[in-house]
Amino acid sequence: MTEILINGQPVQARPDQTVLEAALAAGFYVPYFCWHPRLSIAGNCRMCLVEVEGRGLDIACNMPVTAGMRVLTDSEEVKAHRKAILQFITLNHPVDCGICDKAGECRLQDYYYTYNGERSKSVEPKLRSSKHHGLSDRIVLDNERCILCLRCTRFTHEVSKSKSLGVERRADASNIRAVEDGSLDRDPYSDNIIDLCPVGALQSRSFLYKARIWYLEPTPSVCPGCERGCTVQIWHRKAEWRLKALDPRQNTCIARVTPLENPAVNGAWICNKGRDLARIFERARAEHPMLKGKAVALDEAVQAARALIVAARRPAALVSNWGSNEELAAFKRHLGEMFATFVKIDAAPEPGERIADELLIRPDKNPNTACARALFGDGPPILPEGSDLVLVWGEGCDFATLPRGARIIFLNCYLRPENGHADVFVPLSTQTERRGHYTNFEGTVSEFQPCFSKPDSVADAAVLFEALAAPVQARP
Amino acid sequence: MAGQQLLMTFPVTATSHGLAEYRARGGYTVLEDALHTRTPQEITQAVTAAGLQGRGGALFPTGRKWAVVVPGDGQPHYLVANADEGEPGTFKDRWILENAPHLLLEGMLLSAYALEARHCFIYIRGEFDLPYRRVAAAVEEAYEAGWLGEHIGGTGFACDILVYRGAGAYVAGEASGLLSSLEGKKSYPRNRPPRLTVRGLYQRPTVVNNVESLSNVAGIVAHGAAAFRAVGTQKSPGTRLISVSGHINRPGVYEVELGFPWRKFLEEDCGGVLGGRPLKAVVPGGISSKVLTGAETETLRLSHEDLWSAGSTLGSGGMIVVAEGTCMVRLLQIMLRFYHHESCGQCTPCRDGTGWMHRIIDRIVAGDGRPEDIERLYYIAKYNDGTTICGLGDAAGFAASGMLDKFRDEFDYYIAHKRSRCEGRIE
Repeated sequence: MTEILINGQPVQARPDQTVLEAALAAGFYVPYFCWHPRLSIAGNCRMCLVEVEGRGLDIACNMPVTAGMRVLTDSEEVKAHRKAILQFITLNHPVDCGICDKAGECRLQDYYYTYNGERSKSVEPKLRSSKHHGLSDRIVLDNERCILCLRCTRFTHEVSKSKSLGVERRADASNIRAVEDGSLDRDPYSDNIIDLCPVGALQSRSFLYKARIWYLEPTPSVCPGCERGCTVQIWHRKAEWRLKALDPRQNTCIARVTPLENPAVNGAWICNKGRDLARIFERARAEHPMLKGKAVALDEAVQAARALIVAARRPAALVSNWGSNEELAAFKRHLGEMFATFVKIDAAPEPGERIADELLIRPDKNPNTACARALFGDGPPILPEGSDLVLVWGEGCDFATLPRGARIIFLNCYLRPENGHADVFVPLSTQTERRGHYTNFEGTVSEFQPCFSKPDSVADAAVLFEALAAPVQARP
Repeated sequence: MAGQQLLMTFPVTATSHGLAEYRARGGYTVLEDALHTRTPQEITQAVTAAGLQGRGGALFPTGRKWAVVVPGDGQPHYLVANADEGEPGTFKDRWILENAPHLLLEGMLLSAYALEARHCFIYIRGEFDLPYRRVAAAVEEAYEAGWLGEHIGGTGFACDILVYRGAGAYVAGEASGLLSSLEGKKSYPRNRPPRLTVRGLYQRPTVVNNVESLSNVAGIVAHGAAAFRAVGTQKSPGTRLISVSGHINRPGVYEVELGFPWRKFLEEDCGGVLGGRPLKAVVPGGISSKVLTGAETETLRLSHEDLWSAGSTLGSGGMIVVAEGTCMVRLLQIMLRFYHHESCGQCTPCRDGTGWMHRIIDRIVAGDGRPEDIERLYYIAKYNDGTTICGLGDAAGFAASGMLDKFRDEFDYYIAHKRSRCEGRIE
């Protein structure tokens, strides 16, 4: 360890750290725009200027620690320069926070209030540039807001490796551009640059003008898009901001999904599929239990299912690898001994979807295959001949492949034609309505929490399994 | 003749740049001799002892730059000749490239031998046409004659030189921006540390030297450090190629022994100010050096220490002579337009500051200036100084603050009266 002095206080730093890292780790805040712990050092925003006694000002992000160096992070000189840097950055930045999606979580906004807070010294008209440049099908760029920190270009070069962004022209006419038409469209990690952007220059088309972020709150969750199980934050309206004046769906929709930093699983990134969880969870919901296509009350459906189970002689079950660890364990505990149980693969890759790569995307497009296989084995889902009852949990099962004449209990979250073909259909709560854990392919367990409350007419799978098992145990 | 000459030692003719005449003048004998009788360390020592200062503008001691490169550290080293001469007012390297390309090549080969650089590059300004053709032809000649390639001079020393043409960016003349450009990227300068001599081209130790610096190496190796130190002054040995332009009777490239009286040089060598007018100001070393008034040049000698004591620098040797009657406001406008146009746009203060200064000076010239604009220009200059990755932001600030320091009254007049105090063109 190397000892340096920051604002007169001794700080222990690793020799390979920069002054900025050492200062942040020791609790001395140094503002920065272009620096990011998971990207290379660009040193172009100049916001992290600090003073080293005897050496003058330099940027902390690119300054290696040397033993005994005396760093000042808020001397008068440093404060004056920070103020000037913010003056330069805001020179041509349209202060249109009122209509900017980033307002409320914008570094520039925060820093300007903290470190400058004065009127601009400039009387020149602001430079105009392109406002709604379509960088890809998912992202629009506002060049007037861009402060050219180059986090986005570095991300595409260093992390996603698509090398799809570059800088066009120079000086204050510089613009971020896709290197060729559609190059960013081909990057399945492109939306991370929206989070990386320290200002509101890069905007998500799906989130554009949808909500002010102070009406939203994040709930930690896990992306079910593949066996990586990236931890994410699902943003939805705060409970106190669910307004009657709004369409009910607006009050309970997924506004956006952002990564939840997690070094053990996904680092700071997620892929675009994870951004589109609404496409998975906001499909048309099945809300009514049914007996052969006839809507009934939940209780009635559970009783009917019980009766089928009691009557069956050779029951089999296909369990979902989208079930949480708790639900799978509940199935095993309550129904495992009665049923010949097989793990069903719920989701296959969609046409055009990237199958796998070195960064995050994994070939198995289901979140909890690891736990399901650990509990129920990894045999193929071939039901034994003569099964007279099949419990199908989750999607991805073609009823035509089930043994002829077998009764079917079907548990699913979404509106599907086969719901009506089952003898008993019980709708389940979705991942956004319950708490649970998934085990990813490396064995790392991550928790998801409920964002919304479930409709009364749908069942939580774990509760349902207990209810289905109760009478069987009572009657030996 | 402004003192002793080291580079312009032969009459320029239609064929004097060729290999035959260069050999007739004793060319490549220094290299041949050094390869057989000297070690690389001896050459580095000679250059260090000679006190050669970089001729590109920063005046950094060449020997100290070389000393960072560790011989035999198991990785490739590169040597790059910076022929991207873009500083306004400077055209002295062009003289070497056009008239003595083999002198540059011999200097590079000696330097490559000293630095253990197997591959060298000449990064030549894209706008240079004749210089490029001359250098490219010289490289061809040298390959054919065996002065480049394998087994140079019958020894085991091997060296290749690649001539690379720039695409017209001023910042590509900054050493690290040049390397970015050479690597095929946008010519964004790089942050230090690491220094280029530690991690430069392709992340390997790289020495980037100015054409004139490298052209001096052969002479130093041939005649020894003491002979080089005998020319010039104590603190700035040697000569400088000075390119004189502006309101002067005989503009051109001159070789000046450092320490030569400035006024005498302008009057006798350059033939005095155009039209016999009084000397109003001189930009001594490219527009990135601070402007000096005519009166200040009276007593100064052309040496690095004299210029430093006057708060300016001999920089890249691009001397622009300004006669009485020139509007300094409009002159500054031209300078600031240049910096705005050439700022690469990488780091904040320069990207936004140069454009801001340009718009302010445009407004002043258009007759819409405000008294507080002067403070605004000073503010931008102050916070561009030392806060940017490379020197372009600093230089733009120096140009503005230098002009404002020396000719404040003209700016005040222009703002108050909405017109220049110096009317009309002076030709």
